[in-house]
Amino acid sequence: MRRQSQNNHRRLATAKILFLLMFLVIGGRAIQLQVLQGAKLMRLGQRQHLKEWIVLPKRGALFDRAGEPLALSMESQSVYARPHRIQDPHQLSGSLAQILNLPVADVKQKITAEKPFVWLKRQVSSMEAEKIQALNADGIGMFYEPSRQYPQGQLAGQLIGFVGRDSEGLEGLELKYNEYIRGETGSSITERDALGRRVLVQGVEGLHIPPGSDVHLTLDTSIQHIAEKELEASIVKYRAKAGVAIVVEPFTGEVLALANYPSFDPNGYAKESANQRRNRAVTDSFEPGSTFKTILAAASLEEGIVGKDDLFYCEMGKYPYAGKIIHDTHPYGWLSFSKILQVSSNIGFTKVAEKLKKDRYSRYIEKFGFGQLTGIDVPGEVAGAVRKPESWSAIDLATHAFGQGISTTPLQLVMAYAAIANGGFLMRPYIARQVISPQGEVVLENQPHVVRRVISEKTAKLLSSMLQDVTNEGGTGVMANVEGFDVAGKTGTAQKADPVRGGYAAKKRVGSFVGFVPANNPRLVALVLIDEPEVNVYGGVVAAPVFRNIAQGALRHLAVAPERAAPIPAPQREPEMSRRVAKRNNAGTPDLSADATPDFVGLSLREALEKAQTLKLKLRLQGNGYVVKQSPAPGGRWSEDETFVLNLQG
Amino acid sequence: MGATVSAPARRTTSPKRERSGRAERRGRRQIFFTAFLGLGLIAVVLVHVWLRLQVVKTGYVLSTASKLQSHLEQENQELKIELATITSPDRLESLAHRRLGLVQPEKGQIIILP
Repeated sequence: MRRQSQNNHRRLATAKILFLLMFLVIGGRAIQLQVLQGAKLMRLGQRQHLKEWIVLPKRGALFDRAGEPLALSMESQSVYARPHRIQDPHQLSGSLAQILNLPVADVKQKITAEKPFVWLKRQVSSMEAEKIQALNADGIGMFYEPSRQYPQGQLAGQLIGFVGRDSEGLEGLELKYNEYIRGETGSSITERDALGRRVLVQGVEGLHIPPGSDVHLTLDTSIQHIAEKELEASIVKYRAKAGVAIVVEPFTGEVLALANYPSFDPNGYAKESANQRRNRAVTDSFEPGSTFKTILAAASLEEGIVGKDDLFYCEMGKYPYAGKIIHDTHPYGWLSFSKILQVSSNIGFTKVAEKLKKDRYSRYIEKFGFGQLTGIDVPGEVAGAVRKPESWSAIDLATHAFGQGISTTPLQLVMAYAAIANGGFLMRPYIARQVISPQGEVVLENQPHVVRRVISEKTAKLLSSMLQDVTNEGGTGVMANVEGFDVAGKTGTAQKADPVRGGYAAKKRVGSFVGFVPANNPRLVALVLIDEPEVNVYGGVVAAPVFRNIAQGALRHLAVAPERAAPIPAPQREPEMSRRVAKRNNAGTPDLSADATPDFVGLSLREALEKAQTLKLKLRLQGNGYVVKQSPAPGGRWSEDETFVLNLQG
Repeated sequence: MGATVSAPARRTTSPKRERSGRAERRGRRQIFFTAFLGLGLIAVVLVHVWLRLQVVKTGYVLSTASKLQSHLEQENQELKIELATITSPDRLESLAHRRLGLVQPEKGQIIILP
């Protein structure tokens, strides 16, 4: 019994020692793995089950003033090959070429190259991506890459600009506001399983990389479309080389439209030439020609050198000055200052410039912002070439008077006219209203900014009235007239310098028109410039109608009511309407005796208005559709001062 | 009578036997305690494993949801682009002209209401 107990104790002690040794071995191994080799093993382990996921930058969007998207970002897939892993390059190259619509030889060359990695095609369509996925070929894979889309195509292409493959802005607003809209590249370490699938055991917080901010522009897509369409139509019609149209809000400096021709689609920027990509409105300067006479007129009126009705002798079309002969298109004798502006007499303006003197004229050229950057938030702006008065030769005073020998950008010129339109303030133009962060905070806001007062309100008003004469009968800009509105503006037909031979090219001209409408309460200032038209060169013919069409469309879009009622055409009865309405009167021809109350019942709203206008009646309208009831009732007596109340339905 | 019988019986238990009984009970308590500790430890380990499995399972769910979210965001963006493309002024104007035969209003067709 005792011996058995001793045996048990011995066995127990042996087991204890055994377990103790085992624990010691295990503990020692644990120390070796966890402490001595811990860091190294941890690294090896993490390499196997942790993966860094790169979160691509999400570029912010560009919107017009109404929230229409002009540039958006999405992710596209790009196909790559790892040539060393490809088993059968011959067969695979055929399939890949067919899916990706590439030449077989090109694909084969790429997938047999002695390189560890080659791109086969960047940013493929979702259909192509699906087919590549289905192919499930070893050594062929796809990466997600950000891709920039411009849903409006070529609309404002040069202004918006474009981004490169790495999602960095390269031109236009994409470049200017790149730091705000770029977004940040982020990464997140996540666990992955044996099949390489992502297992988000740490949650999704790390995956949320804030996207870039959105830019809201002052641009109006509808006005931009009208400007581009009308500009192109004129350029095609007159076989011109290029053109620019700008529409600006005169009191704020907001750019509503900025159109360039030739057009440019940023969706395929690589295929387009540098000539198409150029935003001529800010990067090109040109000799403005007669549109610059307005600047001299403003300076002379402001300085009190001339009055609206002061007379000048225009030398019957030929005026010897500083050893040269200055010509007018038509011979004129005595003309008032306002008439000189209306007919755009070079001789008349030379004489005005002689009275003003070059120093004062030069000061106003500078005050109107010529020779300086306007400060618009678009890259690539140039200042134009304006010389100091000290370097002017004797003839320069005359040539500067009619806008030659000086160069301006289209934007500078339109802003100078905006200063006349708004009562004398030179405004800084801007295109981006706000930059808004993904959290909804306003990161940047452009406000209207007055650069300086250039002329007094009185001078601006007087000059506006003189510029209205330019678009009236007898002026050079009659074709700019917008029905129902008073238009103030000026035509220009400038000679172009010949860079090869020197001097001016014999046939090359720049036709332009700059103006604002309605003249007395301007809602928009617009410039149209047609470069090297062949069929007709005059600004009053090639550019003024474009101004009219843009202004007409823009005013309608902005719901600006005409100042004068348009003449009402003879009404035309439509058979469908006759069927719908049983009782009808002919709207245009009064069918009543002198004192019988006219009958409006059964007429449509338009017909009733036309009839009331013809009969010079006052109306009060209630409802829409067709007149079902009127007061006073038809047939009875009525007085001319009485207001007719029409109830409409339907 | 009963008391006289039980008293000698109590006296017959030897102190040695009593000691071994106590040791046996202590040993049994130790075994129970060790077993309880072992079972507790196993339970903790099992709970830990179960929790870890739940975390991994939730990780998969999150991963799937995150992928779906990305996919839907991408689809949403594609739809925005498509909408903006098909409602571009250029396309709308051309459709209005060609398909619907709409034209710009003529002179006098626009009447401003008083």
